[in-house]
Amino acid sequence: MTNRLSELRSSRGWSQGELAAALEVSRQTVNALERGKYDPSLPLAFRIARLFGRSIEDIFSPD
Amino acid sequence: MKPETYEVSAGPGSQLYGLYVAAIATALGGNLLVRIAERAGWLGPAGRVGLAAVAVVPLIAGAVVFWRWLRRDLDEMVQRIVLEGLAFAFIIYLPIAALLVNLRTAGAWVPRLDPADMLLSPALLVAIGIVLAWRRVQ
Repeated sequence: MTNRLSELRSSRGWSQGELAAALEVSRQTVNALERGKYDPSLPLAFRIARLFGRSIEDIFSPD
Repeated sequence: MKPETYEVSAGPGSQLYGLYVAAIATALGGNLLVRIAERAGWLGPAGRVGLAAVAVVPLIAGAVVFWRWLRRDLDEMVQRIVLEGLAFAFIIYLPIAALLVNLRTAGAWVPRLDPADMLLSPALLVAIGIVLAWRRVQ
């Protein structure tokens, strides 16, 4: 699965740690998500989508 | 608005793992003391049974702390890494243990398994499993 998390985070000027705080996960998890090494659970995907005001499909797409 | 800067360290996990190893060492120390007491005729059978049981109390306390930590404090990815480490240990340890038991029953030579081997091997396998799972997401 690919995602636009890094792009969306950068557009807000947030660091990985700041995004992690907003999502209540570790910075390592944000890093793994951005690098496509870890696919989030559905609840986390919804939190990400809600945080950026987009739909899940806007952010995540299958390979 | 920017969220507050937030950094999760591996500290609590490392501390908990260290506590677990210390608890295992305590259990092994208790085992050693029981054997020494038996040879020296100290404490009596009831005392030795008590000592054997008390030596395991730190492991039980560690299990409670570990369960709370796993359920409440870890985010989903780290939780998964820890669980994969535990699964790795279980998957590797069980067939090896079964093989050794069966070979011994069949009269084949097998390395002598003492309490230290039995207790520390799973801890080592969990650590290896966590490292392998962690490397996969980095």
